[in-house]
Amino acid sequence: MTGLLEPKAIGTDLRRRDGALKVTGAARYAYEAPVDNAAYAHPVQATIGRGRVTSVDTAAAEALDGVIAVLTHENAERLASTEDAELAVLQSGDVAFRGQVIALVVAETSETARHAADLVTVHYDEQEHDCVLDPDGELYKPDKVNPAFETDTAVGDVAGAMASADVTVEQTYTTAMYHNNPLEPHATTALWQPAGDGGDLTLWDSTQGVHPARSTVAEVFGLAEDQVRVVCPYVGGGFGSKGTPHAHVILAAAAARAVPGRPVKLALTRPQMFALAGYRTPTIQRMQLAANRDGVLSAIAIDVVEQTSRIKEFAEQTGVPTRTMYRAPNRRTTHRLAALDVPVPSWMRAPGECPGMFGPEVAMDELAEALGIDPVELRIRNEPEVDPDTGHPFSSRNLVACLREGAARFGWDERDPRPGVRLRDGWLIGTGVASSVYPVHQMPQSTATIRCEDGRYVVEIGAADLGTGTWTTLAQIAADALAVPVADVQVCIGDTAYPMASVAGGSSGMITWGSAVVEAAHAFREKFGDDPADGDEAEGSVSENPMAERYAMYAFGAQFAEAHVNADTGEIRVPRLLGVFAAGRIVNPRTARSQFQGGMTMGLSMALHETSVMDPRFGHVVNHDLAEYHVATNADVADLQAHWLDEHDDKVNPMGVKGIGEIGIVGTAAAVANAVHHATGVRVRDLPITLDKLLPHLP
Amino acid sequence: MDFFRPDSLAEALAAKAEHADAVPIAGGTDVMVELNFDHRRPAALLDLGRIVELHEHGRQDGKVRIGAAVPYARIIDELGRELPGLAMAARTVGSPQIRNRGSVGGNLGAASPAGDSHPALLAANAEVEIASIRGTRMVPVKDFYTGVKRNVLAPDELITAVHIAPATGAQQFSKVGTRNAMVIAVCAFGLALHPDQKRVGTGLGSAAPTPRPATKAEEFIATELDWESPKPLADSVLRRFGALVAEAASPIDDVRGSAAYRRHALAVLARRTLGWAWSEHLGGGRRACA
Ligand SMILES: Cc1cc2nc3c(=O)[nH]c(=O)nc-3n(C[C@H](O)[C@H](O)[C@H](O)COP(=O)(O)OP(=O)(O)OC[C@H]3O[C@@H](n4cnc5c(N)ncnc54)[C@H](O)[C@@H]3O)c2cc1C
Repeated sequence: MTGLLEPKAIGTDLRRRDGALKVTGAARYAYEAPVDNAAYAHPVQATIGRGRVTSVDTAAAEALDGVIAVLTHENAERLASTEDAELAVLQSGDVAFRGQVIALVVAETSETARHAADLVTVHYDEQEHDCVLDPDGELYKPDKVNPAFETDTAVGDVAGAMASADVTVEQTYTTAMYHNNPLEPHATTALWQPAGDGGDLTLWDSTQGVHPARSTVAEVFGLAEDQVRVVCPYVGGGFGSKGTPHAHVILAAAAARAVPGRPVKLALTRPQMFALAGYRTPTIQRMQLAANRDGVLSAIAIDVVEQTSRIKEFAEQTGVPTRTMYRAPNRRTTHRLAALDVPVPSWMRAPGECPGMFGPEVAMDELAEALGIDPVELRIRNEPEVDPDTGHPFSSRNLVACLREGAARFGWDERDPRPGVRLRDGWLIGTGVASSVYPVHQMPQSTATIRCEDGRYVVEIGAADLGTGTWTTLAQIAADALAVPVADVQVCIGDTAYPMASVAGGSSGMITWGSAVVEAAHAFREKFGDDPADGDEAEGSVSENPMAERYAMYAFGAQFAEAHVNADTGEIRVPRLLGVFAAGRIVNPRTARSQFQGGMTMGLSMALHETSVMDPRFGHVVNHDLAEYHVATNADVADLQAHWLDEHDDKVNPMGVKGIGEIGIVGTAAAVANAVHHATGVRVRDLPITLDKLLPHLP
Repeated sequence: MDFFRPDSLAEALAAKAEHADAVPIAGGTDVMVELNFDHRRPAALLDLGRIVELHEHGRQDGKVRIGAAVPYARIIDELGRELPGLAMAARTVGSPQIRNRGSVGGNLGAASPAGDSHPALLAANAEVEIASIRGTRMVPVKDFYTGVKRNVLAPDELITAVHIAPATGAQQFSKVGTRNAMVIAVCAFGLALHPDQKRVGTGLGSAAPTPRPATKAEEFIATELDWESPKPLADSVLRRFGALVAEAASPIDDVRGSAAYRRHALAVLARRTLGWAWSEHLGGGRRACA
């Protein structure tokens, strides 16, 4: 690889190009697609946890003024592919989890559709369901974990190392069930036009990837890809839950095909999102650490138990970060799943890394305490020279620099290591640290075109901006790749009418789409030189990075938290959170800070608030709205700082970027838990950290 | 569903008399949630938005009269000095959007045991002004609540205002929630010193089927406080006061907290707020909002 792009636009804090449109309400989201005469769809959901629909009485619904159609498994179209059971909607009467869609009303207004959905009467043959994750229940070993990692890894003899070590930590940690809860509910506007060659389907869908969504939908309906267009210029957040189409997209399309020529709008309600839009599995993590008196690890192991749905497997790769974080000759990671009668779990911001850096990073804190070694120092002592998993060198690894920089900024050096001894105005005070990590993912395919129009450069690629800044940052990359001012670059994204782009997932967007844009810029300059004519156009695609075979590529970070716990009531406050990240080159400090801080806020929320409470009797999440599923509010976040190191990595890609959308949520909860322990002396190993877990044990 | 939009109070009362099942809607921050979740499908809504009298506050017989639909944001901005306890409670309600719409009249109409204005109204001995075409009556707030989400309103009545004497002493409000904003109280406590009457008013929230005062605690502390030559309070007195407040509660276990925690926390809130208020009375100056 030749040197990195010379940064001119890259690194400047350009304002979001879509900012004004969004704050003035002019940006159109999926549900607001500009269509005439729309009909509205509303799902009917199963009220049992498992069984079969024996009859559906739709007469009362159909009799309601304004109802156009009621689709059930008896009359809905047969889908071409039912391989993906989550998407095989209305194909049979089987109920695999409570909240599964068993009918769909299409009506003249959304109110009528909703009212009619209530009038549908369903009878079931109900079976016993099981929706409780039990580590001693029936478990199985998946073939791979998300997306294609080995399920288990083992090197050396962990048991032997545990038996002979000076100090060991052996504890079980749990993370809760979490729902992504983007602000914009999942929504699709669908239009089926039967004319032409077999018909055309247009979907205005709130998605993290128009092209991947198109492929899925085309396959499910047996359409050619060019019969399907997916449009999505703006997304009101996704956090992974819009990374793959869920049932509602297929329902909207099926409804549209039932009323040809008429657009159909379907937006999930917040409660529906808790059953239909994916979530993060709860995890149970058994950790083992063995070390000598100097804190040098001889073993590290994590055994993970988590859940999937009985109808579709999703195996969160919770054990994976333990494979690369610290050096130790004896290592083991395993994943076991319980297949339950629950909604289908899926991606949520940093699948794997986010839950998988809770257990290990709290365990490291417990080890530091047992050894009397500073937790920052303990991590530094276990820094590997090469990736312990693959044996490859790191393309760049600046965990130690992040820890040191963070410690200096946070004022860590003055820390008194004793837990539970600082009481100020009735509040117990403590600080904690944890590491962050996120892999550099590059997707195999993405293409961009660059065209000269009126002396400006138009970049087209079907990329997504879920609030992450793509509209702005891709323009910065294109500007530097073309060596023109960023004002001369126009970017067009979010439509399958543009060249194919990969999903906005795995923090791979800038890496993958950016590489395609750079390739297109190079091709353009090669073909047309520095003085192109109007209409000149060139295309470029991302290609495999040969360095990926030879180097381990990761972003790292260190997060520091201060926790205050009220000695009388157990209330918990986190007045300070500080993260330092080494994530390659930062394309735009403004949008990057928003990603890091957003991730950290979500991590804080995971530490203190978020938990989806499953009612085992009925199989649904009881706190299924934002009044009861608490996410951190502004008042919960006080001094929140994200910093980064200038990291130069010429192996990852021509821009030198690593991806920043997810790393901010990794490690935060552990840093908070460690700070709470330092404040109170109480070790909470089960998230969220709530006052009832502290109060009985406070000093 | 019918939608009535009276332009005056008289029209509203006439409409309510004729359509007893019409649900009044002020800020709508409770009503719209109920409609949205299909907890309620009323035959009619009675919009109070255009009735000027309900959106004004002023003085009447030496008391502050707050129109039922005056939003929390205005109580905070305009009445914080006269009614510090109510303003503190108002600050903890929802978010800025909710405080721009939600009202004390609505809080009373909903009569949820978790409503945040109730402890402050109880501690300050507020009176609720209730009107119908039959006339107007005043109900002391402690007699206003009759059960979980129930109150004394007859089907033809509307709440028109609350009347509260301006504070003569320090007031406090404290709330425990599972996060720092936008949260339904796990428990809440309001306290007001009334040096003119040589007594202390209290109010408990989220601690019983209805908001209620801690009468025994009020009686106890009235005998303990020396209003003529105030002295710092002994820790034992604060603790006894806290214990009596906790005793006044009859809380339940629910998703937000256990009964035992609520009792424990109420005792803490009670001694804290009394400690703060009394030190302010001693001349420590006014404390910042909790
Ligand atoms: C996101 C959110 C957060 C919230 N947070 C809090 C909180 O922190 N603390 C809290 O206490 N509450 C909270 N609430 C509830 C609500 O905001 C309050 O109860 C508020 O005081 C209701 O006032 P309103 O004017 O909006 O009432 P509305 O919704 O208009 O009415 C509420 C009830 O009172 C009746 N009513 C209204 N006005 C009258 C009248 N003049 N005469 C007779 N009946 C009347 C209505 O019919 C209805 O039954 C929250 C609500 C939401 C949506």
